[in-house]
Amino acid sequence: MRKDEIPSYVVDLALKKGATDAVTKIHDRQHVMIRFSNNEVTVSKFYDELTVDIFLMIRRRRAATTVPFYSARRLERTVEKLIKIARMTPPSELYAPLPEGPFSYDPRLLKGPKTSLSPDRLVGYVEEAINAALKEGAKKVAGTLNVAVEKTVLTTSGNVHASQERCTLDISVRAFTSDISSGHFVSISGSEDEFNSSEAGRIAGEIAVAASNPKSGESGRFTALLGPLIFADLISQVGILSSAFLVDIGRSFLVDKVGTQVACEKLSLIDDPTIADSYGARAFDDEGFPTRRNVIIEKGVLKGYLHNSITAKKYDVETTGNAGLISPHPWNLVVESGEKSFDELLAEIDRGIYVTNDWYLRYQNYRRGDFSTIPRDGIFLIRDGSIESSVRELRISDNMLRILKNIRDLSRTRRWIKWWEVNVPTLTPYAVIEDLNFTKSTM
Amino acid sequence: MFCVGGGILEDLAAFTVDYARGLGAEYAEARFQRDIQETVILKNGFPEAVVLEEKKGIGVRVLVDGALGFASTDNLTRKDVKNASSRAFKMARASSRIMHEKVSMDDSSLGNIKVEVNQRIGFDSVDIGSKIGLLKETYKLAVGEAAERNVKIPACSMTIDTWMTEKLVVSSDGAYVYSIIPRAAFSILMTAFHPQKGSAQRFFDLGGSGGWEIVEGWRLQSLIKKEAETLSEILLSAGKSPSGKMDVILGPELIGLICHESSGHPGEADRILGREAAQAGETYLKKNSIGLRVGSPLVNVVDDPTLDGSFGFYLYDDEGVKARKRTLIKEGVINEFLHNRETASVFGVKSNGSARASAFDREPIVRMANTYLEPGDYSVDELLEDVKEGVYIKSFMEWNIDDRRFNQRYVGLEAYRILNGEIKERIRNPILEVTTTGLWSSVDAVGRDLEFQAAYCGKGDPMQGIPVWTGGPHVRLREVILGDDK
Repeated sequence: MRKDEIPSYVVDLALKKGATDAVTKIHDRQHVMIRFSNNEVTVSKFYDELTVDIFLMIRRRRAATTVPFYSARRLERTVEKLIKIARMTPPSELYAPLPEGPFSYDPRLLKGPKTSLSPDRLVGYVEEAINAALKEGAKKVAGTLNVAVEKTVLTTSGNVHASQERCTLDISVRAFTSDISSGHFVSISGSEDEFNSSEAGRIAGEIAVAASNPKSGESGRFTALLGPLIFADLISQVGILSSAFLVDIGRSFLVDKVGTQVACEKLSLIDDPTIADSYGARAFDDEGFPTRRNVIIEKGVLKGYLHNSITAKKYDVETTGNAGLISPHPWNLVVESGEKSFDELLAEIDRGIYVTNDWYLRYQNYRRGDFSTIPRDGIFLIRDGSIESSVRELRISDNMLRILKNIRDLSRTRRWIKWWEVNVPTLTPYAVIEDLNFTKSTM
Repeated sequence: MFCVGGGILEDLAAFTVDYARGLGAEYAEARFQRDIQETVILKNGFPEAVVLEEKKGIGVRVLVDGALGFASTDNLTRKDVKNASSRAFKMARASSRIMHEKVSMDDSSLGNIKVEVNQRIGFDSVDIGSKIGLLKETYKLAVGEAAERNVKIPACSMTIDTWMTEKLVVSSDGAYVYSIIPRAAFSILMTAFHPQKGSAQRFFDLGGSGGWEIVEGWRLQSLIKKEAETLSEILLSAGKSPSGKMDVILGPELIGLICHESSGHPGEADRILGREAAQAGETYLKKNSIGLRVGSPLVNVVDDPTLDGSFGFYLYDDEGVKARKRTLIKEGVINEFLHNRETASVFGVKSNGSARASAFDREPIVRMANTYLEPGDYSVDELLEDVKEGVYIKSFMEWNIDDRRFNQRYVGLEAYRILNGEIKERIRNPILEVTTTGLWSSVDAVGRDLEFQAAYCGKGDPMQGIPVWTGGPHVRLREVILGDDK
């Protein structure tokens, strides 16, 4: 059996065996990852994966699996097992049939650019990033390069048969000038043309040099200038937690907030997988429904949640093309840009803190949005519109909804961000937040 | 050579190693791994779906001119493992041109053994209906318990995971270790809501190695009913937390987390070498930190993969090295780091069996297993009786620690004021935001109890979530400064 034939074979089989609805997706992916640290390669890895995702329903009874492809016979046994499990499962809250196709998809999204997985070429990207950071004055450089080519073929019982080919490139570079002064930046793209590993290295190096000799920061409320890495982390939380499934299980501060002002009027957040050749470009979701540009927040107002067919039925709306068969999720987040340059934003801050990056964001209460996260890499004290000095050892301890409402301004310049801490590709500007609460260790 | 069953799998693993060596690799290792997992999800009282997952394949790791290469395949044929070996070899050779410090493996003695954890009650002997029935009944009891206090549970997700991990590790220098370890886990996120009081949330995991008897041992129905009662009471009656300098008693749930975050992670040798610098970060410890005092003489933090029934259980690691208890902090002094064979070689020591890989397509890296504070000799009452004014923090929700593992924050969930040696009223969200040395140095008494919690530790790139236990006894901290509620 050819790989492309697997999904329709499995869906036909599932229907024959008693499923009312079935989806099968194969994911055929070759992925190279090069990890580097101390200016050299730590390990190079090659992944060759062919997985088969099967989801079936017998009306309100559901079962799903992810398995490798061995043979048609093994797949048949898997389908039989899923049918048996679904029959034994008590019914779910509701049943929503899969979207009925066929659908037409944006051809620009179905076949993206190609890229090379040649080891020499990929090591070259790493060398460029390391050298660019060292040239700026960094002493040591670490990071990860990922390059992947993938093909997705999906068939549903809703008369959908679709396939998409794409590639992704991303590099995350962290440069150090000492144990306690560092800078971090990334480059991500859905095409080689837009990928720039040396620029990621250069910016990481530049921040690391500026962050040299940091002093212990002071706690308190400050006007904060947030760089694209940290603002992407915060804003991607909004995108991820706008999933109707997460709202339903209480894992979101957007519960009961549709139609209300949840952010400053300057903030508009869109999930837009229709940007061709971007990192998160998608033609269809996991139910085969065409993806679309979904406005999550428009001028500060929460417009709606992200849905698959099942959550959409519960909320009495249409699916948004964000399935996830169990939990809907965003594909490619975009924050609309502001009007000012970085220098103008900086110049308007009398007393504040510029944070370039963060990690380890955890909630005390998802529903309320109380959380803290740790600024890392360059953190700078701002006095009278200029960067005064480098500081360290601060924590942002605040509330997500309060932060969204306290956005004062956004920059014209935007950057695509995705790295270890930010899972969803996010196009984000710099942001100025009023009255952000910084804490620090008491002993 | 020990032969697990003389089967195709053993032959394929041996063939892979031989083939990679034939290409010119200085070292080659083949790890077959199969993980078969079943997840049952209950969302707000209704089954969401039953999810089955099978991951099976071979990961090949090679050392070429001092550079490491790794490749994996889920096709278990000679042709495919040859391709994977060639890919790993070529990637390593290409990388070697920018290597300054050559990677090598230490000369640890390697296992030739079969390890199997038995199940008293096999996962397959419990049908899906019974598993979902258990969760539904548990949910109903929690909702009822909250309702008795006029509190709603508007959202509650629960999952039961059961899975089997089968591994065969074969290396060119003699490792031959076969293992089968079944595990079970439970996870919950529960929200309590009251129109005038707002919301409170509780999240936690349970986990262990063995069969369905582990799940039975948790007594989920009474446990979650009690959790619903506690969460409701927190919502209804917890008052403002005091702040400023005072004595604090931490329960095992917090102490376990603290051991993991501020003793286990900083002692991972790959972090010390900067290998995680761009992801989970580095550490405040240096290569020469053995002997450094970081806490009071009462602090003994260990990591032990060999604990029977534990979530982080293994007897041989994923490089074939025999696992053992590691004493990370001994009487307040840094005593030992966690090593795999690669880092041990750099440090000039022997691996202490800390290499773990979460799946066949992930390379083994330095990990914790079951990290805990060793008990002392105080009863909980004795810890309390000497506190004039203080706080007892039993559970938590929010926590984080900086990427050097030095500045950390824990925000309590179930917490009480202590007055003249007695536990008094509930308090809301006490904040402990301290340095690693500040926290461990303030320990002045350690309880004789010992409890463990399950967790999934995240590290590596691609992310490798691995099952661990964290634990410890009740502990008293003298004159620490609690932060202000924001």
